[in-house]
Amino acid sequence: MTRKILEVNNLTIKFGGVTALNGVNLHVSEGEIAALIGPNGAGKTTIFNAVTGYYSPTSGNFLLEDKNLVGLRPHAIARLGLSRTFQNIRLFGDMTALENVSTAADGLNKSGLIGSLFGSPRSRRDEFNSRKKAEELLQFIGLEYRAGQLARNLPYGDQRRLEIARALALNPKVLLLDEPAAGFNPQEKFELGQLIRKIRDAGHAVLLIEHDMSLVMDVSDRVMVLDFGNKIADGKPREIQADQRVIDAYLGVADNDS
Amino acid sequence: MDFSILASEFASLTFDGIVVGAIYALVALGYTLVYGVLRLINFAHSEIFMIGTMTCYGVTLALGISTSADPLTLTSFSLVFLLIVLTASLASGASAVVLEFVAYRRLRLMRASRLSSLISAIGASFFLTELFRILTESRNIAFPRLVDKEPLFVFSSAYITFDKLLVLIGAAVLFFLLNRVINHSKLGLGIRAVSQDETTAVLMGVNVSKVVSLTFLVGGFLAGAGSAFYMVFYETTKANVGFLVGISAFTAAVLGGIGNVRGALLGSFTLGLIQQYSSAVLGYNWRDVVTFVILVLVLLVKPTGLLGEALQRARV
Amino acid sequence: MSNFVFNPRDRFGDWWDQATILQRSIFRVIVVGVLFALPLINNPIIDTPETSFESVLFYPLVMFAIMAVGLNVVVGKSGILDLGYVAFFAIGAYTQAIFGLYTNLNFWLVLLLGMGFAMLAGTLLGVPALRLRGDYLAIITLGFGEIVRIIAVNTEAIGGAAGLTGIPSPPPIFGVEFSVEDVRPYYWLSLTILLIFLWGIIRLSHRKPGRAWEAIREDEDVAAFMGVQTFKYKLWAFVIGGAIGGAAGVIYASQILSIEPKMFELNLSIMILACVVFGGMGNIWGVIFGAVLLGYLPEKLRFLTDYRILIFGLLMVVMMNLRPNGLIPRKKREVILEKS
Repeated sequence: MTRKILEVNNLTIKFGGVTALNGVNLHVSEGEIAALIGPNGAGKTTIFNAVTGYYSPTSGNFLLEDKNLVGLRPHAIARLGLSRTFQNIRLFGDMTALENVSTAADGLNKSGLIGSLFGSPRSRRDEFNSRKKAEELLQFIGLEYRAGQLARNLPYGDQRRLEIARALALNPKVLLLDEPAAGFNPQEKFELGQLIRKIRDAGHAVLLIEHDMSLVMDVSDRVMVLDFGNKIADGKPREIQADQRVIDAYLGVADNDS
Repeated sequence: MDFSILASEFASLTFDGIVVGAIYALVALGYTLVYGVLRLINFAHSEIFMIGTMTCYGVTLALGISTSADPLTLTSFSLVFLLIVLTASLASGASAVVLEFVAYRRLRLMRASRLSSLISAIGASFFLTELFRILTESRNIAFPRLVDKEPLFVFSSAYITFDKLLVLIGAAVLFFLLNRVINHSKLGLGIRAVSQDETTAVLMGVNVSKVVSLTFLVGGFLAGAGSAFYMVFYETTKANVGFLVGISAFTAAVLGGIGNVRGALLGSFTLGLIQQYSSAVLGYNWRDVVTFVILVLVLLVKPTGLLGEALQRARV
Repeated sequence: MSNFVFNPRDRFGDWWDQATILQRSIFRVIVVGVLFALPLINNPIIDTPETSFESVLFYPLVMFAIMAVGLNVVVGKSGILDLGYVAFFAIGAYTQAIFGLYTNLNFWLVLLLGMGFAMLAGTLLGVPALRLRGDYLAIITLGFGEIVRIIAVNTEAIGGAAGLTGIPSPPPIFGVEFSVEDVRPYYWLSLTILLIFLWGIIRLSHRKPGRAWEAIREDEDVAAFMGVQTFKYKLWAFVIGGAIGGAAGVIYASQILSIEPKMFELNLSIMILACVVFGGMGNIWGVIFGAVLLGYLPEKLRFLTDYRILIFGLLMVVMMNLRPNGLIPRKKREVILEKS
């Protein structure tokens, strides 16, 4: 039985009168690519927001490698190994691609302001390491020739991939991808699938939110389905596809992307 | 710290606090309404108020009422005051609409950052203050005593004078009218819709630009009316009168819960009272410090104010 | 600006990129040399009526430049709107006044103390205030600036409304005396301080703190998701801005010999903000340019002085609407490669 890297236990999140998540239990195992699907408003992004520390749970908890993350701030959770991309691309537009990734890579080192100012050995080492890591990641993702370009000037597909590279800079144990294929054509989706597998092979578990069923079926080891804040199914892709509850909730729609 | 004055003058301080609070409320409503639809603090709203005060003075000039003249009879005063209130309200309302058009509209349509809008607001505020400082040559403007201020009756230590009653009654009338507009008119519906969810409001066919302009108009109108009451009560103004009245009104709006109309009222009266009481205890000099401190405390401890709801909107 | 055929900024940038270290050093030496020699130039074209050019160089030019650099770290780089920046300037000035008048402390120590007090104030204000959103934060900083001034006015122990006079000048440096008659040593001193601050800020900008600040300004929430300790860096920006403002205040007080609360009003905060906004938010050279321009023009064109604030206010509205990134935006130079 492989180890559970990310565990969400009985997570409930209420905003005023609205229950966004209702006692959700899910997990991502080591070396797994898991997908989270469900109709719009089901609570998928809410789970991402919750486990990255943006929302406080009303009840329940979530663990990363058995460590309870509830109450930790987003930057602390990021440093512990949980990073993400966003549904609407949110790069640092006026910074170059390299700087975007470096900023995240900085998150892993501890040098402070004074050190940077006076050029302490540690800060020099950290500076070198951040840059090196950023360059390696850009190469990993195939964007090394974009290093010096401003993020907002990149074409859409490169922006999506840059966001992934940036998130990878935190050396995440679990990488959360929020609709990474939105707006992609079939070829790009195919390449994205390959990239996701490459990321998993490099040692990061992946949890992805996606609407494109072909990508989900192609790349996931396991699929979880949310509807109205409840998990209604959890199993292998083929099983989910055949599950009546899921079909009722969601898969009645033809697999066109939005 | 002297509590003896507080004790002996309690009724007077309380009554005055409510009167001052009413004036603050009229200005605070402008802040709160604009914040509701734009999520922006209209820094220059204080100057809208100031323009109102200047307009009041201008009307007295035009009517030839000198500052040394005797107070008017009740009938004369009613007519004159009505004229002043209407003119000041119109002037402030119009200024507010122009302000929105010049300083904020483009930024809103460009979806510029909040920082840009704030800076534009501050620039406008300073521009207007300086403009009038130059026009008035930095003088204090004296306003004639239009109505007799002999106390009509005395309650404990409180001197109930006509001008104070006027403020209270006038403010009450305006609050009532505002309530009708907000809750029973199409404009009010638009304002409430845009305040809650701009995107959906647009989808429902609300012309956001029009609602925004009209919100500024209403806010300006109220501030203008407030300026008329202010002038009758305080009988003086200057180019930077907006600053302190504005900070008080803004603090009141925040105290009550910014974006919340009832909150603006509650906050205004509360602040008016606190200001009067603290002036008695600490001395007049420290009144503004007290106001700032309240503002800081509210923002730190309960930023949504006394009546505000928690705005939990997902930004990711 | 990028539509013009001749774009001086890009041309310079091109040259700088391919210049050798030697060439760059020579350039720097020349520029610094010219700056130091400025008070010695006696040319009617640049002279300012009513106040001597050297005096203008000191105040407002270099003083504004120092403060603009400081405020730039807060507003331009990190995106935190600070409307009470004058408070730090005041704290520095009063530190020099009080310690200069009542103690025998070495000037340099007082300079450090002034910066220290300003940093302390920045921390006290920043720790609670920086948790708030932009508009609320701006209001609180405004309140802070006003509170500092009102306290100065109401506290007789530090001079009250009349202020303090007889503030001592700095001791001679390298044999150059600081006296009432000659403003040039003060200019050279503050120019040196400005250059030191510039060095420090540029250094930080190219490293982790600079990236953190930019990320915070671009998208604070996402910066946090990417592991940036946003609160820590915002506080640092605030404190650094405060230290720089405080330093300017100390030097200013040592020159002007007497200070009063009236000198530290909201208007000054707005003027410095205008320099940052006008010059180029986040761009350190832009804000210096903005400070110099906005400081110099009202002195040169004397008829403008009375309308200074009017123009600054108008400028801010116009700039935000037409050129939100300032005259010299912080646009980065991109490196565009081919896909191999």
